[in-house]
Amino acid sequence: MLGRGLKRKLSDYEENMAGLSSAFDSSRNLPYSLKRQLVLNMCLTKLQTYKMVVEPNLHRSVLIANTVRQIQEEMRQESSQQPVNVCPIENSLLMVSDDDMSSAISSILKDLDFMEDISPPTSLVPAGDDEPKSPESTCLKLEDDRQDLKGAECVFGSFEISNSTSYLKDLAIDDIFEDIDTSMYDSDFCVPPLMTPRPPSSATEETLKTFPSCNSSSANNIPICRTDLSELDHIMEILVGS
Amino acid sequence: ETPKPPAAAAVCGGGGSDPVPAGASPWWAPQPPAPHTLRDMAGVAGGGGGGGGGNDFQWCFSQVKGAIDEDVAEADIISTVEFNYSGDLLATGDKGGRVVIFQREQENKSRPHSRGEYNVYSTFQSHEPEFDYLKSLEIEEKINKIRWLPQQNAAHFLLSTNDKTIKLWKISERDKRAEGYNLKDEDGRLRDPFRITALRVPILKPMDLMVEASPRRIFANAHTYHINSISVNSDHETYLSADDLRINLWHLEITDRSFNIVDIKPANMEELTEVITAAEFHPHHCNVFVYSSSKGTIRLCDMRSSALCDRHSKFFEEPEDPSSRSFFSEIISSISDVKFSHSGRYMMTRDYLSVKVWDLNMENRPVETYQVHEYLRSKLCSLYENDCIFDKFECCWNGSDSAIMTGSYNNFFRLFDRNTRRDITLEASRESSKPRAILKPRKVCTGGKRKKDEISVDSLDFNKKILHTAWHPTDNIIAVAATNNLYIFQDKIN
Repeated sequence: MLGRGLKRKLSDYEENMAGLSSAFDSSRNLPYSLKRQLVLNMCLTKLQTYKMVVEPNLHRSVLIANTVRQIQEEMRQESSQQPVNVCPIENSLLMVSDDDMSSAISSILKDLDFMEDISPPTSLVPAGDDEPKSPESTCLKLEDDRQDLKGAECVFGSFEISNSTSYLKDLAIDDIFEDIDTSMYDSDFCVPPLMTPRPPSSATEETLKTFPSCNSSSANNIPICRTDLSELDHIMEILVGS
Repeated sequence: ETPKPPAAAAVCGGGGSDPVPAGASPWWAPQPPAPHTLRDMAGVAGGGGGGGGGNDFQWCFSQVKGAIDEDVAEADIISTVEFNYSGDLLATGDKGGRVVIFQREQENKSRPHSRGEYNVYSTFQSHEPEFDYLKSLEIEEKINKIRWLPQQNAAHFLLSTNDKTIKLWKISERDKRAEGYNLKDEDGRLRDPFRITALRVPILKPMDLMVEASPRRIFANAHTYHINSISVNSDHETYLSADDLRINLWHLEITDRSFNIVDIKPANMEELTEVITAAEFHPHHCNVFVYSSSKGTIRLCDMRSSALCDRHSKFFEEPEDPSSRSFFSEIISSISDVKFSHSGRYMMTRDYLSVKVWDLNMENRPVETYQVHEYLRSKLCSLYENDCIFDKFECCWNGSDSAIMTGSYNNFFRLFDRNTRRDITLEASRESSKPRAILKPRKVCTGGKRKKDEISVDSLDFNKKILHTAWHPTDNIIAVAATNNLYIFQDKIN
């Protein structure tokens, strides 16, 4: 369920979650907003876990993302209807995490796209025609990975800071990422304000804009990919070496 | 609808060693248009009716295949079960990429009580694990689906698929061997042509039966996402394969090309809210197929209307019941299996808690809904937490479309009689595995006082799930996959 290659350091956390979910099921007195918060946390945790797996399950990711969106929408509607004096926890959630949640979902789904759909669908095209496109798409994946990792960290980061009764309190953020070698990710491209700013964000936006069009292999975009091929070689050496 | 002749009559008819209640006609006798119902069988089962709430029909244990060990090897977990068109062959696929085919033994006149047993006919490795170096992904060898082709000659053909590649296998028998070749010796060595002074005609000699499986076609590189369904067309020349976002049409003879007939991938993946979960061709109309989605909808498409079937001909969706709405409503509405009835007039869908029968002529709601394990509705959060809520249960029809079957947890499986609206819960377990032992109906206690022999919801073992079941095309024989064991049950005989 958690996917391959993921160390199970979350066992204590999982026990807590199991206890909470059975409390959700059995208790009739749990306030609705608390139940909703619990479900939301579970959803985001799952999405986060899926991101760390090489090949996340598309079906599950979509279902969970839809659940998150549904809860988001509900909370948005509530906030627009309610007076100013709202429970501070929910308020801070709405203010801080809404955008982060959306970006987390977007990044996960975009990630699935780059990761899985490197070759376009073959309709009336002989199979095996996909090789030429691969080198470009592979380097896109690397760029996107770096950016997504930061985005995902932000979701958890904002939860920790804003929500004092967060169910994730027991979980140290660093533990999740301890196993991941982020040395090659620590170079460029970071947008969120919580992290140390790196190269100017305009460069990030430019690169982002060129991503969708890279698939069409237009001549303009090839230079960008060429500079990354040497990095790709470097990474391949590391992978093959280990 | 013409009533199907009860084929099972040939198997257990005539004996009459059990007294038939006066006034009741034996169920195998020609009746006025009565389809096979579970109640009709009561005549043969020795006056049925006894034992637990309204279970007139009685199922018996027949066989169990697989290791008894408590320690289950991951590779041995059965991932698909399928009878062929005649029911003589039963194929299983497992997580290790192997296919095992069982064959029903011929009826033995001297032992009428031993109904045709299924014994191993052929075993072969269908798929191997692959590693996609470019994407750094491991491609699982698990067999997702097996579909038989209708038999056209002495050999048998089936399609088996993992996440990415479909293979056509030919299973053939060899019981003769040629001897007396001119150019080579008996052990295969080439003879010196100068030594040959006379010609002889090779003769065929009998040998021990050998069953060979050989891959005849490999259909690869057409699916970016994970294949969840394959379905052979009624034209017996084409078949479809479906993954999360696309459906492709293949010709059985052509492996380097497939035609994309459905594509629901949005231009921007961030807009993705729905995936394809299952697809099947209509049993009679070769231009019609259906596919189900993670939002609980079914689309029927006609390939004659356009090349790319993005626009459906019919759209089946049941309006949501607002009183049962929860955070998990969408997740549990996701359809895990869709199956046409043999008649082609109905289709059945399985979602997490229920099975629904749809009339193809009515799109706005199903004609029948059967609750599989409604007691789980109050446990959805826990089931979401441990991922059980994503389990994909299959469902199947019996030969006459009068009954349906699907699996549940704790190795329970459920059968529903569409005519009498009776249902029964049975368990696939080693404890009730004595030869021809009648299966006792099981019951889950939902709350309050637990009666004897009932099991409470909290005691259910959610690791023992029955996802794959199959019903013989004509007889009352069912195959139930319980993790690494295959159980075969039959109806009670005289």
